[in-house]
Amino acid sequence: MMPDFDQDGKGETKQWQPDLTVPAVLLEGVSKSYGRIFALSNITMALNGGVTGVLGMNGAGKSTMFKLLMGKLKPSQGKIRLFGTDPWKNPAPYARVGFVPEHEKMYDWMTAHQFVSTFARLNGLTRAEAGVEADRVLNFVGLADVAHKKLGQYSKGMRQRAKIAHALVNDPDLIILDEPLQGCDPLARTTIMNVIRELGRMGRTVLVSSHILQEIERITEQIIILHNGRLLALGNLHAIREKLDQIPHRITIEADDAKALAKDVIDMDGVQGISFPDQKNLTIQTHNLGAIHAQLPKVIVDHAHTVHTIDNPDDDLASILGYLTSGGGV
Amino acid sequence: MTEELPEDLEPGEYGAEAPVTGQGRMEAAWGSSEGDEDLSDTQVAQPTSTGHVFEQVYKPWQGELNPRWMRNWAILRHHLLGIFKKGHRPWGMPTRLFILVVFLASLSDAALTLLSGLLGEASLHQLWGVSRDNLYGHVLGFFPRNVLYYPIIAALLVGSVISEDRQHGTSALYFSRPITRFDYVGMKFLSVALIQSIVVLLTLTLYYLAEIISLGRGWAWILDTFPLFLAAFLSGVLLIFTYTSIGLALSSVSKGKFFPGIGLLAIVLGTKVLAVLVSTLFDREILYLLSPYDCMAHVGQTIIGTQPTYDQYSWTWSLASLVAMNAFALYTLSARVSSMEVTRE
Amino acid sequence: MQAKPNTIYRSLDRKAAALTEFTMRQYRTKVSTWVVLGVGLVAISLVMLIYIDVMATGFESVDNDGDSYDFDNDGYPNGQELKLGTDPYMADSHPGLLDPPVEPEPASNYIDEDGFDISLQGTSNLQSTGFDDDGDCYNYDGTSSRKDGNNNNIECDVLLVQNRYTGEWEIVYDLNVDEDPDDAAYVAEATHMAFVLGIGKMGFVLLLGLFLPLFLATGLIRDEMSAGTMHYMLAKPIARTEVFLYRILGYLGIVWPYFIVLGVIFATISGFMGPGEGVFRFQDLGVWLAIVFATMMASFVYGMLFCTMGVMWRYGIVLAIPFAAWELGMCLVSMGAPEAAILRFSVIGWALMIVDAAAVLVWPNMDLFLLKGNSMQDFSAIKSSALALDFFYSKPGIGSSGLVSSVIATVVLLIQGAFLWFIGGAIFKGKEIE
Repeated sequence: MMPDFDQDGKGETKQWQPDLTVPAVLLEGVSKSYGRIFALSNITMALNGGVTGVLGMNGAGKSTMFKLLMGKLKPSQGKIRLFGTDPWKNPAPYARVGFVPEHEKMYDWMTAHQFVSTFARLNGLTRAEAGVEADRVLNFVGLADVAHKKLGQYSKGMRQRAKIAHALVNDPDLIILDEPLQGCDPLARTTIMNVIRELGRMGRTVLVSSHILQEIERITEQIIILHNGRLLALGNLHAIREKLDQIPHRITIEADDAKALAKDVIDMDGVQGISFPDQKNLTIQTHNLGAIHAQLPKVIVDHAHTVHTIDNPDDDLASILGYLTSGGGV
Repeated sequence: MTEELPEDLEPGEYGAEAPVTGQGRMEAAWGSSEGDEDLSDTQVAQPTSTGHVFEQVYKPWQGELNPRWMRNWAILRHHLLGIFKKGHRPWGMPTRLFILVVFLASLSDAALTLLSGLLGEASLHQLWGVSRDNLYGHVLGFFPRNVLYYPIIAALLVGSVISEDRQHGTSALYFSRPITRFDYVGMKFLSVALIQSIVVLLTLTLYYLAEIISLGRGWAWILDTFPLFLAAFLSGVLLIFTYTSIGLALSSVSKGKFFPGIGLLAIVLGTKVLAVLVSTLFDREILYLLSPYDCMAHVGQTIIGTQPTYDQYSWTWSLASLVAMNAFALYTLSARVSSMEVTRE
Repeated sequence: MQAKPNTIYRSLDRKAAALTEFTMRQYRTKVSTWVVLGVGLVAISLVMLIYIDVMATGFESVDNDGDSYDFDNDGYPNGQELKLGTDPYMADSHPGLLDPPVEPEPASNYIDEDGFDISLQGTSNLQSTGFDDDGDCYNYDGTSSRKDGNNNNIECDVLLVQNRYTGEWEIVYDLNVDEDPDDAAYVAEATHMAFVLGIGKMGFVLLLGLFLPLFLATGLIRDEMSAGTMHYMLAKPIARTEVFLYRILGYLGIVWPYFIVLGVIFATISGFMGPGEGVFRFQDLGVWLAIVFATMMASFVYGMLFCTMGVMWRYGIVLAIPFAAWELGMCLVSMGAPEAAILRFSVIGWALMIVDAAAVLVWPNMDLFLLKGNSMQDFSAIKSSALALDFFYSKPGIGSSGLVSSVIATVVLLIQGAFLWFIGGAIFKGKEIE
């Protein structure tokens, strides 16, 4: 992992096993559909302890999953359990949960301290207790000196930290952060990332979503990848990548003269094998998808082949992660 | 862990002839704005070459701007057609439904006149045919038209006309183009007024025509009654103008979608209730001057020539009050629109 | 931190206090709240100012029977001439020619000289009451049957007859009995009572009680959902129905003190400006209390209703408009026909019943009072003021006594509010929030 200037020592990386008896978060076959569009399809996972990054492109279903967890949406199928309780229509589990929403809008007329302590009291704390806890969490996120300024005067990074502080005030066992680093300057990012890492180290279950792999990598190695509403991968990032490298990837090309194309393609680096599913189609097997795609256009153009389609029939996880992590070696 | 950071790219990687790499795909798909500072640094370091994306030559536009009326017509059209068609300003479904319902309900007197002509019923015609009182009643009758129909249409229309631009920042779409603020607010005003006139003035005209058609009225009759019709038409214009200017002033002051509409109804009905209260209790009609409806009714009664129901003061006071109300509303509207930010407020 | 039980019913009072306080503070910082409250104050104050003006100007006494005039211009008022037996139409005949000669009395002696002596005693449906104060009936130069115009074999009295079918009383006067009452006093009293009832019912309960919730309560939940700040309130161990209720409590924390303050101010002003022997009209305070209470109850029910409308549908507020028109109509029905069954289905019918109940308790002789005024000549000041008072005064529509009616009305309003809370909470609970 990349060292940050504020971090002491190397972050710990553990192989993580979900406790399936009473996990903090449990989803079983959960789907959410809006008419014919499935925002999430058949997600099954369990999380208990540590920081987990939820990775996905815009529209992959990260926010939808969080809203399902927070009881804002009802799953069309499947079941969701937070600490063993269904959160839809039952807000009891939220005593142990802290949620940092994606929305920017806050109450600009309140000071950070008022904001945190007022909503702390909704957990059942007295006014005095809430004040004390608010001071504690605002100190934890580094806003102690500006706690009595109005939120309207805060920068984006400070507002994000205030939101995180508000989520931490009830000492939650599960913390869910929806795109916490969005729009923050690099300094604020580092602070927030340190906070998240610290929370994970304290044994809480933390779910962080982002669409930037580098950010997630700096916080944790356990990731979940969502794409088009499906759960593509779940586990340790290194393990996922290793596994991918062992699977040969395929590229199918539909061309007018498949055999002639094959002759030129076979000379490319990284090609492990070629097969012909039929007269017009050609399948290339490779371990290095990126490398093949880098060279393929040149080969086609140089030898004036007529190509109709080029396709990666394997799951998109491969292409995504491949592009993400190895960059094709270029 | 990540070996490939943007700084490691060689120059020329972003040229047109470079193959599309995984790196490029990643940045394209998942890059955040904050990552751009690294990329732009890389760009600056590169030498310029043909096909370089950022090589630009600024060419001032030498074309001819279309006439002002065409731009204004575009705004007007966008607002008007939105009532019927998709692809224009989306008025909400309740608004459209209500306009349809009120349009049909306002035609009740025209329908009954037609009926009386078909059936030959003199008593029916006595009640519903064109006369001073009925022309007045079509435009300015209190119940049900000025309680249930016209003010509510106005309220539904003015609700988000300007406040949505303030809330969503879409005013930038107008003000970043060669459109003056006066044109902007003028066309919005006109669009709301025109939609209301479909319900008020068009139905009035249809009513007049219904009488002519169903009873076969001749030119002599038309000559006699046309001034009355014109007076009623003018009263309708006054009504629409007043409701629109008050409503739009409220819409420019608020950011919400419903506050302007409710505010308009509160002003129109609330002042009427207060005036009726004072008049019943103390037999003083002074508070009617604060009620836009009563001022318009008084002026309408005078110009159409029906029996005046406000006898404690002259109609010129009502007219003056009406002018003052409209002036105040228009002043508020123009002040707010000229100070509107070209962004989300 | 110690172990926390996994239930949402822990520390309800702290959560309630937190959310209610937060709501009040949030609304205090909004400009629109102050605009609405200010406009309400100005509107109601306008009516109050006119009332003050009317009361300060005073009312004039009218000679209802014309006996202060001097038809024959002989210097003696008609009434004096009638009393002493001379001819009021002939200048040659006047009391100065009597033995001993009588000085002319001022005309003012013959204005308001024969006031109402009418009172309702007992339950019999025919009652004789009234007294001819100025003697112009007793001294009337005519037959006995002329002096007993109401045919009850008692000369120069007033007969109160109860209608067998409607139960209403009628007054039948004998000639020249109680014919010239104190107009100024009556009109002042009637106008004052009409003002209190009128501004209470239409100003407070209808305008303030309906429009303030319309502006302030509709966005309690809806605005938070649109702005995306609902997450802060809902991601807590607190039930959604609780959130709904506490938001309403916060809104009530803004409007209820407003009504109380306004009520106190108006009660004070009208108590001092009102007619009567004392410096302050203490008995009116009962009606003002009822007015403020009815407004508070109405704003509670309307608040629940409009908040529910806001939650259930993005265009929910559009439904509020026809509802407001309906309630306005019901207000008029309540004043015209308070027994109408349709009033049971409105909110304002019950709220106005509380005011009516208080009026019945505080001013128990209203029927007779109205009767007296209504029996005078048409278009006279007395009759006009009586008609105005009659418009605003009603007996409680369910026909029970004042106390029972007000209790029933309060209970019904509470049930309506609770029912709306239940519905609003249920809709809110099942709502998906994007």
